[in-house]
Amino acid sequence: MTTTTHRRRIEVLADEPLIPVIIRLAAEAGIIHYTLLPTLGGAGAHGRWRDDQLSGATAKVMFLAVTGPEHADAFIDRLAPLLESHHLMLMSSDVEVVRSRKFD
Amino acid sequence: MALDALLQPVVLFFLLGALAAFARSDLAIPEAVAKGISLYLMMSIGLRGGGEVAETGFTHDMLLAGGAGLALSFLLPLPAFWLLRTAGKLDRTNAAAVAAHYGSVSVVTFATGSEILRHAGMAPAGFMVAVLAVMETPAIITGLLLARAQGKDSLAPRGGLLHETFLNGSVILLLGSFLIGLVAGKGGMAPIAPVFDVPFRGMLCIFLLDMGLIAARRLMDRRALTVRTAALALLLPLLNGTLGVVLGVELGLDAGSSAALGILAGSASYIAVPAVMRLALPAADPGLYLGMSLAVTFPFNLTIGIGYYGWVAAHVWPLIRG
Repeated sequence: MTTTTHRRRIEVLADEPLIPVIIRLAAEAGIIHYTLLPTLGGAGAHGRWRDDQLSGATAKVMFLAVTGPEHADAFIDRLAPLLESHHLMLMSSDVEVVRSRKFD
Repeated sequence: MALDALLQPVVLFFLLGALAAFARSDLAIPEAVAKGISLYLMMSIGLRGGGEVAETGFTHDMLLAGGAGLALSFLLPLPAFWLLRTAGKLDRTNAAAVAAHYGSVSVVTFATGSEILRHAGMAPAGFMVAVLAVMETPAIITGLLLARAQGKDSLAPRGGLLHETFLNGSVILLLGSFLIGLVAGKGGMAPIAPVFDVPFRGMLCIFLLDMGLIAARRLMDRRALTVRTAALALLLPLLNGTLGVVLGVELGLDAGSSAALGILAGSASYIAVPAVMRLALPAADPGLYLGMSLAVTFPFNLTIGIGYYGWVAAHVWPLIRG
């Protein structure tokens, strides 16, 4: 039977220009492996939004990282004060991974 | 000229896009295609402007227009900021972010305006492309100063902001293409004219169809816009554009170039400035500054503003001066 290990999955939905800031905060919390996902559109508290490559200012990108609980907590602590002012969405969930060394 | 401007295919395609969006049609231009065309338009505008300056050489008028553009971009955010704070009832951060948009320029408004002016026999001088590039960024600096530099909650590194401000893609592409056109001259431009000159109007039509869709959809999602801010999005281009035209005529520029300076002053950025403001002033509402510049000012300039600036440059201000 394949062995799985508990890890935390962190997702941050942010406007594209803010992604370098998110990556820097993640690195400060020890998260250096991540994936950026494009989005097509959606609806939230500030109304509907669509992928807008024209200005890029409101094109949203999903930052995804799977990491250990210490790094995840450190990242969430750094990001939490910015959620309101920077209009960020932060999700955290528990996942089981295979080859845990890839998700430290 | 105003009616003539309305009936140009480029404007009609914009209106078609807007109507399709209002009718909730599923019409869409793929984002990658729109992005590609916007790059093409900037290359074409830069090359053609540089090629024309290669023919005419550096003139006194070019220096004057460049200086006027620089001053306008630095200073236009100041009265805009005051109006947005007083009449618009915006807080300092939002007013500064919006003001920066109204000091900067819209490349597509300039491209459309140049085509309409050319059609009316008032082609602006080639060096106005350089003025366009010069006017892209100074307003960002004024906007950030008005917001008391970076907001307290901004985590953007200062170096990253400077990089984004002065080396953003549109400035690099416009100035770079202008210099290539300048070096190549008319002779060097001839072999690439079938790509960068002949299809320009057609490509602009496709792009404006997409802009009509984007502007109308943003207007329908107008949560951040109020009657006050929408009214200011109509008033600011009129004030700024008139000032630009008057400055151009007073400096002795020809009517077409004066009208183009009015178009630049009256336009509002929706490409370069929003990205910088999102990074530098994250507390400012992007729905507000993009709603004002893209959903109100851009359509206004395309349908009424360009014709108005051309009319003032050709008839009104010369008549007032006697």
